Amino acid sequence: MMDLDRESEELVDLRTLDYVSKYDEHLMCPICHCPFIRPVRLQCDHVFCQKCLNSAITSFDAGLQNFPCPSCRTSTNGIFMNVPRLLLNMCDDIRVKCPFSEEGCMEILPRGHVQSHVDKYCEYRPIHCPEQACDKKTRKKNMSPDRRCLHGLTRCGTCGEDVMEQDLEDHTRELCLSLRTTCPGCAATVFRNSLKEHIDTCPEAVHPCSASKFGCAAKLKRVDLGFHEQNCPLITMGPFFEAQNSRIDSLDMTIRHLRQRNEILEEAVSKIPSTLVDAAQLLPEGRSVSPTRPHSRSPSQTRASDPSVDRSSGMSSYLLSLHEALREEVAGLSLALTDLDARASMAVMNESLRIKEDMAHTNSAVNSIRMQIHWLMNPRLHQGQRAASAGPGATRGTSTLGLTSPNAGSSNAHPSGPGSRGLSDSGREGTKL
Amino acid sequence: MQGHLPPGISIVKSENFEEWQMDIKVLDANPLYQNEIYRLKFTFGSKYPIEPPEVQFIEIPRSSETPRPIPIHPHIYSNGIICLDLLSSAGWSPVQTVESVCMSIQSMLTANTRNERPPGDSDFVSYNRRRPRDINFFYDDDNV
Ligand SMILES: [Zn+2]
Ligand SMILES: [Zn+2]
Ligand SMILES: [Zn+2]
Ligand SMILES: [Zn+2]
Ligand SMILES: [Zn+2]
Ligand SMILES: [Zn+2]
Ligand SMILES: [Zn+2]
Repeated sequence: MMDLDRESEELVDLRTLDYVSKYDEHLMCPICHCPFIRPVRLQCDHVFCQKCLNSAITSFDAGLQNFPCPSCRTSTNGIFMNVPRLLLNMCDDIRVKCPFSEEGCMEILPRGHVQSHVDKYCEYRPIHCPEQACDKKTRKKNMSPDRRCLHGLTRCGTCGEDVMEQDLEDHTRELCLSLRTTCPGCAATVFRNSLKEHIDTCPEAVHPCSASKFGCAAKLKRVDLGFHEQNCPLITMGPFFEAQNSRIDSLDMTIRHLRQRNEILEEAVSKIPSTLVDAAQLLPEGRSVSPTRPHSRSPSQTRASDPSVDRSSGMSSYLLSLHEALREEVAGLSLALTDLDARASMAVMNESLRIKEDMAHTNSAVNSIRMQIHWLMNPRLHQGQRAASAGPGATRGTSTLGLTSPNAGSSNAHPSGPGSRGLSDSGREGTKL
Repeated sequence: MQGHLPPGISIVKSENFEEWQMDIKVLDANPLYQNEIYRLKFTFGSKYPIEPPEVQFIEIPRSSETPRPIPIHPHIYSNGIICLDLLSSAGWSPVQTVESVCMSIQSMLTANTRNERPPGDSDFVSYNRRRPRDINFFYDDDNV
């Protein structure tokens, strides 16, 4: 009795069950890939099995509050909510095989009923042999009413094989090699365990049309089947159906892959803000190395000190303001440059004007000096000419004056030359000076 | 793993739940990886999928019938160890699968243009005896 009680309390592991009905992919837990078992919902509306989430949290070091959603990495804030009743019902309604299908239980039932089936109704559940010394198990249905061990070997009366007492009934009914049966087609008697092979070759056996998968209901003897298959419209349509099916399959596959790629990309995109935040944390330290104008950094500092501002938007507006500040600076510089240019050319012009004026003054001064020199020289020249024509005794004087005479002579020979005008001018200049 | 695998990804070995091997191909015309197939080895711990599997490339020599080199990439050491955020304990999420990891590595190769190994590759390869998961890689750039 003790054994029975203990075993009936064993929980069926719903994750190891054989799910026979197709179910919507959205009912599948993304962690254990089973239809949700006792699911919970996070603030981001993602749903996971409680157990899956628990084990993920246990292996997460940074505390329950900071635990991020495994699907989208938004913070859970440690809040776990119930899921709608509808979702639970849909998950519990998925058909599964009895966990003891290998023992022979053919039951297929909604997942929600498996536990009670196993606990109360399943005839194939192995239970410990009531005999303490025996460590074997017996199916519930084989348990003898008087609760004795059925694991002793007995010999089959017909084939001579040794079988356990608990299996004897099945053996004589199904498995015994001596059992014979009749072919339903040709009525020949064959061994039970070779019936399948016989039917495959028996000309009288009834076979379905090879287009049965496309809906042909014909089931005929092998001989007639050949004739039918020549005329069966569904067989002519067969290749077309096949092509359509494979097309649909490949499209399905493509959709699935695209969806997955999309999910991967979405995840990558959802990581970008956090990468930006990291970059924002790194940037101010990095920037302080390079010379920056103090006021261009102040917006990021004020933003960083205000935790309520979304950090990623703070980051981008920081970059924008930086950009704006730089643009203004450049505009200011170009203005200053044109200003400087104008001032420089003004200065150059003033300077050159002044120099021109000076030059004019100097020129006129030089001219007046030249005229004065002429004026001063002229009497001496006349004096020299007079001395030469007066007597040959004055050869020394001639030779010295001879050097200057062609000069004076040329100045006299060309009436339009500077010398002649200089003379006439010198008269006036002389009076003026 | 159910149904069909995405193009360029195939299972080589998956008899048990300790080690799987997958072959991946880069599908676009990236000249760094053209006409090559690479072999990934997944080693699952008892806590998978809560904790990440160990994933690395393994090399099968050129002389073999199925040569499998180690792809050149600034985040893949020449001994096959991959420096990928999502395979670290911190970057892993239990919703990842063998399939999604393969696809991530596939796209990591597809996007790469640098014909180089990570910095310090030869030192790392000759001195490192730690398991990839225990190494604190510095994930230097953006979205690998
Ligand atoms: Zn789950
Ligand atoms: Zn989420
Ligand atoms: Zn059952
Ligand atoms: Zn027994
Ligand atoms: Zn027998
Ligand atoms: Zn027959
Ligand atoms: Zn037909």
